Amino acid sequence: MNKGTGGGFFAAAYSLLFYTFLFGPLIIMVITAFNSSSFPRITPWECFTTDWFSVLINNDRLMEGLGNSVIIGIGVMFIGVPLGLAGALALSELGPKLRATLYTVLIVPILIPGVVLGISTIVFWGAMGRGVGAGYDSLFFNGMFLTMAGQVTFISAYAMLVFIARLQRFDPTLTEAALDLGATPGQAFRKIMLPFLSPAIGSAAFLTLLASFENYNTTVFTILSGNTFTTALASKVRLGTDPSLSALAVIIIGITLVGAMVHEAHTRRAEVIRTGTASRSRIYGNPVLKVLVHPAAVLMILLAAIGYTVYQGAQYDSSVCTQGILDEKLERQRILREEQRKKIEAQRKAQEAEGGAAETFSKPKSPSAFGGAFGNSGALAPAGD
Amino acid sequence: MNAIKETFNAFTQKYGTGVATFVAVSVLVWTVFLIIMPQVAMFDYSLRFNLPASQIGGPNDVYTLDNYKYFFQGNDNTVNYLDMGILLKTLVAALFVTIIDVIICYPIAYILAHSATGVSARLMVIGLIVPFWVNEILRAFAFRVLFGATGMVNGIGMNMGLWDTPIDFIRADVALYSGLTYAYILLMIFPIFNAVEALDRNQIEAARDMGASWWRVHWRVVLPIAKPGIASGSTMVFMLTAGALAAPQILGGPSNLWFTQLIYQWFNQSANWQRGSAYAVVLLLVCIAFVMMMMRVFKVSIGEIGR
Repeated sequence: MNKGTGGGFFAAAYSLLFYTFLFGPLIIMVITAFNSSSFPRITPWECFTTDWFSVLINNDRLMEGLGNSVIIGIGVMFIGVPLGLAGALALSELGPKLRATLYTVLIVPILIPGVVLGISTIVFWGAMGRGVGAGYDSLFFNGMFLTMAGQVTFISAYAMLVFIARLQRFDPTLTEAALDLGATPGQAFRKIMLPFLSPAIGSAAFLTLLASFENYNTTVFTILSGNTFTTALASKVRLGTDPSLSALAVIIIGITLVGAMVHEAHTRRAEVIRTGTASRSRIYGNPVLKVLVHPAAVLMILLAAIGYTVYQGAQYDSSVCTQGILDEKLERQRILREEQRKKIEAQRKAQEAEGGAAETFSKPKSPSAFGGAFGNSGALAPAGD
Repeated sequence: MNAIKETFNAFTQKYGTGVATFVAVSVLVWTVFLIIMPQVAMFDYSLRFNLPASQIGGPNDVYTLDNYKYFFQGNDNTVNYLDMGILLKTLVAALFVTIIDVIICYPIAYILAHSATGVSARLMVIGLIVPFWVNEILRAFAFRVLFGATGMVNGIGMNMGLWDTPIDFIRADVALYSGLTYAYILLMIFPIFNAVEALDRNQIEAARDMGASWWRVHWRVVLPIAKPGIASGSTMVFMLTAGALAAPQILGGPSNLWFTQLIYQWFNQSANWQRGSAYAVVLLLVCIAFVMMMMRVFKVSIGEIGR
């Protein structure tokens, strides 16, 4: 922390608070994945269990949606990245006035509500389909196609922003030099521009894939009667929650953390190689450690650790404990019923003693907190079950 | 038209006909078929009656302002307080969420840009990004776990004796506002961070040496630099919050609708796409008008968004 620019106690405390807000909900969700209680919660803790993972994997709708999402994501990537590249190139060459107009037109889809994009997409392609007299099984009424069209509209703009940032650092004299030295314009593009843009192409492809996978607002309209992973997830959350969703969060967070660590290993290694301090570094100079911190090695180690954990988790059997909890609940219920029965008995006797008039009164008002819930069953159930 | 032709020629000279054609066709398809035409089609659709398929294109298929009239007057020509109220509530809530996000994110963006150093700074950036890899739906779900009747917050509060019966945070919209605030934090931090980072640290130190208090340093030195970032972040957060659908569906109270949910209902439950389109047009226009007004107030241009 840099004291001169405000890195004092307050900054540290605030950062801590902020990151608690950021990670707290996720950590709690992750913990609920291992509680056997059928509502996701930490208290009361019932049993440690890994069953929710198998519940998740056996959810057919979610898995079918996952397949659709992968296809749509790849489609959006292959359309969105070239569109974004074209947009960025066009903006780099246009005059200032047209440039501002085009930039506004292309960036607006990021800002307008996804719901609006989804609706306009289905309405437009539906009108087109009717215009050319296509049937309802044609492309114009196909949820997968419509979803790709709707998502590409704004996801291409994300890709474009990545390319614009990269193009700002491009030195146009490179192209001019290539042309002067006798390269054809096509060669100049392939051999100068594309290699310069290649890191941006990678990150744009990644970003489009992720954005497509994550999208809900547009997709929920354009997918029509179908399902993607996200829409299936949303309808599951809305209909009722169980901890298998927390199990899904565990998987996603796990993948993210592995990705982040491998990426960090990669950047640090690249940094050390670039600055040429590898031989002097304590870690990168050591032959054993050097192999261990290679991104591939980091990935292998993490995968091995995860594989071991998953294997152990799959072996773990929580049925004894859950049965114990169930028995305990039944026992508690039985005791409550017993008490209820005794109370009714006592009340009836008291009424009998008072006089015969109250004898027909069969549904006494229960003073207990569970009166509403157990009052009826207590009266109807056979005594002492 | 001439300018476009010139640009095309410049492209051809630089990168060849192939690339120039690719760029021209792509941009044309993107702007016309993906951006402009769908909005026009939606607007056209919103001006029509909800007819059975057999009558579409027939004599009854004429333009009407009926769907918009319904938004303002309802069925019985009185003022449609319900729907307009929902729109107003959505906008006010989105503004509220945006302001909270600015307040939360400004300090952390400043700390990231100027106070944190070395490993802690790197970890903080990674820590910012990791939660946003988790699906939007799951993030909302996490808040439902937190704020449910038997959730964490109620559990802690009741154990500490702060309150006796479980508080229905979902009905009170606490869960919704927290979830929305959480959902778009990243989009607020990075624009502010980018803007604040440009500030020369010596300026802060100089102001401190001259005896300015921290409040004064932020008010007079840092905030003016951060303003474009705050405006750009606020625009994005406001638009996304007003247009959010997942979080209100998952975290919203049963009696409290978000305007996007109203649109969703016209489409999926009432099967009245025309009226849904009209509502979508209303949302779009109101949001754009609101953002443009805000940009005018804070004197920023749309070109600064997305930087």
